[in-house]
Amino acid sequence: MQLPNAVERILLDEETIAARVRELAAQISADYADEDDLILVGVLKGAFIFLADLARRLMVSHHVDFIAVSSYNRGTVNSGAVRLIMDTRTSVASRHVLIIEDILDTGHTLDYLLRNFRARKPASLRSCVLLSKPERRQVEVPVDYLGFEIPDLWVVGYGLDYADRFRTLPYIGALKQEAHE
Amino acid sequence: MGLQDDVAKIMVPEPELQARVAELGQAINATYCDADRPLLVCVLKGAFVFLADLIRHLEMRHEVDFMEISSYGAGTVSSGVVRILLDLAQSIEGRHVLIVEDIVDSGRTLDYITRNLRTRGPASLRVCTLLSKPDRREIDVPLDFVGFEVPDEFVVGYGLDFAEEYRNLPFIGVLKEEAIRQRANQ
Repeated sequence: MQLPNAVERILLDEETIAARVRELAAQISADYADEDDLILVGVLKGAFIFLADLARRLMVSHHVDFIAVSSYNRGTVNSGAVRLIMDTRTSVASRHVLIIEDILDTGHTLDYLLRNFRARKPASLRSCVLLSKPERRQVEVPVDYLGFEIPDLWVVGYGLDYADRFRTLPYIGALKQEAHE
Repeated sequence: MGLQDDVAKIMVPEPELQARVAELGQAINATYCDADRPLLVCVLKGAFVFLADLIRHLEMRHEVDFMEISSYGAGTVSSGVVRILLDLAQSIEGRHVLIVEDIVDSGRTLDYITRNLRTRGPASLRVCTLLSKPDRREIDVPLDFVGFEVPDEFVVGYGLDFAEEYRNLPFIGVLKEEAIRQRANQ
């Protein structure tokens, strides 16, 4: 496979991701086996591929909804403040909410989302995150289902972008240093 | 969970579906080059599963963006007047835009979206839909890439829902009458 010039190496290949997504789906299916009102809330844009693959592996009935958020960013520095651009279509009150995120970095976005959704009085609230960069964490935020812990590299693919590029690579790749400077 | 039990028949099995998505990807590859940098506009919620698979077959440089729309009509009849709940994150002026839809039914929603996007001055505007129901068409809207033409039956799966259920079935199925009645009453 030929990598784009800006991609230094593959961090997680397609098979590794698919296998882990299957495991996460099995775990989620077991945990929610007795619940009949599960709603997966995908965080756009990054989570849509992960969500599409995860949902198809779930053995429990569920609904899917999306939210779109934007950080009040200056460049790549996450200030912690989050703007909700699109909310869920349906109310999540008294439902079992599972937030689906592509990556946990500083933790600010997920922390905000969890606080925001908790205020809506769901029956339960959990998070499922494909990637986590523990070295980058600024706020402690609970993750109930985690795909992979990764080092502090600029990663792209499988939903993750760099300036909207590389989002649809089927693997998770690490960008070359010079590509994101 | 019994979701699969509500399916009367499988209209498009998973292998056939995946093979056709790959073919659509090749057709799109033949249409655009890297310099075109097409923007794939996914219409939520239904098209996200199709999009997630389609992009894995694309070879040219491209980007994705999302729109979520809501029909004002109630139930399963689309009035054609739609409300944009989530607009594109970026301008499409001068861009090559490819709308990615799960299904074209009456054509009214798609007609509205194409007219709306055309006012924004894209370099080109094309449509890729996984399914088309020609029997249901009320407005003629040009489709550039079509996965399958299907008869006028109640299809679910692969992103398509009924009352928010069945989206995650990996195939396209037809719902049983009693499942439609039962869920409609819930």
